[in-house]
Amino acid sequence: MMEPSAYLLLSGILFGIGVAGVVARKNALIVIMSVEIMLNGVNVAFIAVGSHLGDPTGSVFAFMVMTVAAAEAAVGLAILIAIFRLKETVDITELSVLKW
Amino acid sequence: MPLGNLASLSHFLPELAVTATILLLVVAHVVGGNRQSAVPAILSLAGVGAALLLTALQASVPAKSLFEGMVALDGFAVFFKALTALATIVVVFLSMESEELAGRSQAEYYIFLLSVLLGMFLLSASTDIVMLYLSLELVSIPSYLLAGYLKGGGRSTEAATKYVVFGATASGVMIYGFSLLYGMTGSTHLGEIGRALAQGEATTPMFLAAVMVAVGFGYKIAAVPFHMWSPDVYEGAPTPITAFLSVGPKAAGFAVLVRFFYTVFATPDAASGAWVLSPGVDWTALFAVLSAVTMSVGNLIAVKQDNVKRLLAYSSIAHAGYMLMGFVLLSPAGIKAILFYLVVYLFMNLGAFYVVILVANRTRSEEIADYSGLGSRAPFAAVSLAIFLFALTGIPPFSGFIGKVYLFAEVINKGVYWLAVVAALNSVVSLYYYARIIKVMFLEDPKDKSEIAVPAFPRAVLCLLAIPTLVLGVYWEPVIRMAENSVKMIAF
Amino acid sequence: MEPILFMLFGAIAVGGAIMVVTRKHPMASALYLILTLFSVAALFVLRQAHFLAAIQVIVYAGAIVVLFIFVIMLINVPENRLPVERATVMRLLGVIAAGLLILETALLARRFAMPAAPAADSGSVQAVGRALFTDYLLAFEITSVLLLAAVIGAITLAKKKI
Repeated sequence: MMEPSAYLLLSGILFGIGVAGVVARKNALIVIMSVEIMLNGVNVAFIAVGSHLGDPTGSVFAFMVMTVAAAEAAVGLAILIAIFRLKETVDITELSVLKW
Repeated sequence: MPLGNLASLSHFLPELAVTATILLLVVAHVVGGNRQSAVPAILSLAGVGAALLLTALQASVPAKSLFEGMVALDGFAVFFKALTALATIVVVFLSMESEELAGRSQAEYYIFLLSVLLGMFLLSASTDIVMLYLSLELVSIPSYLLAGYLKGGGRSTEAATKYVVFGATASGVMIYGFSLLYGMTGSTHLGEIGRALAQGEATTPMFLAAVMVAVGFGYKIAAVPFHMWSPDVYEGAPTPITAFLSVGPKAAGFAVLVRFFYTVFATPDAASGAWVLSPGVDWTALFAVLSAVTMSVGNLIAVKQDNVKRLLAYSSIAHAGYMLMGFVLLSPAGIKAILFYLVVYLFMNLGAFYVVILVANRTRSEEIADYSGLGSRAPFAAVSLAIFLFALTGIPPFSGFIGKVYLFAEVINKGVYWLAVVAALNSVVSLYYYARIIKVMFLEDPKDKSEIAVPAFPRAVLCLLAIPTLVLGVYWEPVIRMAENSVKMIAF
Repeated sequence: MEPILFMLFGAIAVGGAIMVVTRKHPMASALYLILTLFSVAALFVLRQAHFLAAIQVIVYAGAIVVLFIFVIMLINVPENRLPVERATVMRLLGVIAAGLLILETALLARRFAMPAAPAADSGSVQAVGRALFTDYLLAFEITSVLLLAAVIGAITLAKKKI
């Protein structure tokens, strides 16, 4: 099997792309998707390290991250639906009642 | 040796009580429909009260590691469980009184509140990063829901949007730090990670992991520069939730910050009782600067606020900065000072928010201008608010003063004079904006002279919050002793 | 064999991720997200994490992205009302932050000291299941409370009438 360093690099690249999406995009839906990419990057690292060590903990951790991602996505999207009903927008910079 | 899963259950009763109450609330909501009733609130009070009692019984149990090393039962965890349960009970009282929430069944509201409580219980006890991550999310995700609970008003939903975006990103960064730690050490137990790191030498990945994890925790305690979400969330959320977020999750955030950094990046020195830093990560300097910046930013922006809720939000950022002073010293006395300050802070901050709720119920406003003449309109509430605000400033003989004395004393003992000077200057700044509210209440004529009646029950709760605020300012011995006994942490 | 497949799926995953964060319409992003998730699942298979690969496809691609697509169709923002993305300081900052992170991990990955370990079964259903239900049982149970709160919360917030 390969050394995990290549996977760690890939994990960093995915994580970085996710961070860029979160910081740069205005569309809240895409921001939440970028968070999912960040978490996928993290999962790649966990799996790579876990299999290198022969330790199922990496898989367990990735499993928990997925569960949390599901919960977070459900809640985040529900909040987006609520805000869209009120303001008819998905632009997070347009939330002006509270100064951003 | 950690206890197995079944054997641990008998030491897990407070958490089980909270979980059972959550399930009962679900059933109560299904049975009772969406009619307004006091049942969910009373059920929650009973459940959290039971959890508090069961926690008190654990105080004398020798420290143990439970569930194969997932969580610890030690003085530190018991202290924070009691503290957060107490905060939740007061917040239930606040919620019962608040008119923002009146009008429908509040079962869901209390389900979220108790889920956060369960998360805080586990967060302060976690000794494994898997557990730590999950319990942090169990605190965060229902908090997003609570912040957005008032759907009709745009402010609440916008607050939730902001909260969820910031929160998800911060926890993503934190978990990336965890993946680095797991990669470097091959373990998820805090104690084992600490031992593995202590053997190796300084590396960049170690420092990077520490910074990334600090982002996640810094976000929870709203330390600058991760505080951006908090003023808006605090202003937009229902006021009882604002009070809750500024005390409960913040305390739990401090618990996990202390436990994580001390067990992973430092080892206790048996002779002196002080912690010795593992080579590589000099986080004390980092956090000393963070502390100074946090309190200064919080206080300076608070000066300009005209909305009481927003003002208290920024002041709670400043208080997080004060508490961080105790964190950077690597000494049990510093942690003791944080624990004591958290107790004091619980009473004074929740008390201040309680008065804000009582006034807003009547005036529908949280602007400072609308507090004019409160001293004659509602003398009881105004005097209590004055007590809480003086305590928050840290003026003797109020309890906030004693809390600050302990924090300052440690900083000066360790010779970090510049931090003490910054904190002292900050206290002066905070006097200005707290005193401004008091001046408006007592010295300005009211626009509307009608009396604001404070019923007997809120009066009793206010007394329950004001008395400790006063008494702890003159007789604090038992609480400080309790805090001292709670400094013991086990890491497995 | 592994290096070739790694390069292939890694490239697809990164390409998909870049497309997700650069598309104007969220629906396009969601579809590229599926592409990324599938290639990450393939990478999991390369690392013998078969259980997680299955979960990745079933839960992530199959449930979470479907949820995204449902919401995109439900709120159905017309093309001309999508937020206008302009080159701003924030965007520049985002790209710089991402660049730094990637550079950093590149350096890290080269000098990452990792404990050597025996080859063992780490990702099969059996191994993961055993770990999940012994050492990590409490964490597993806590996820149920988390999901319960999230489900109730999602319904409460998304319902039209309270």
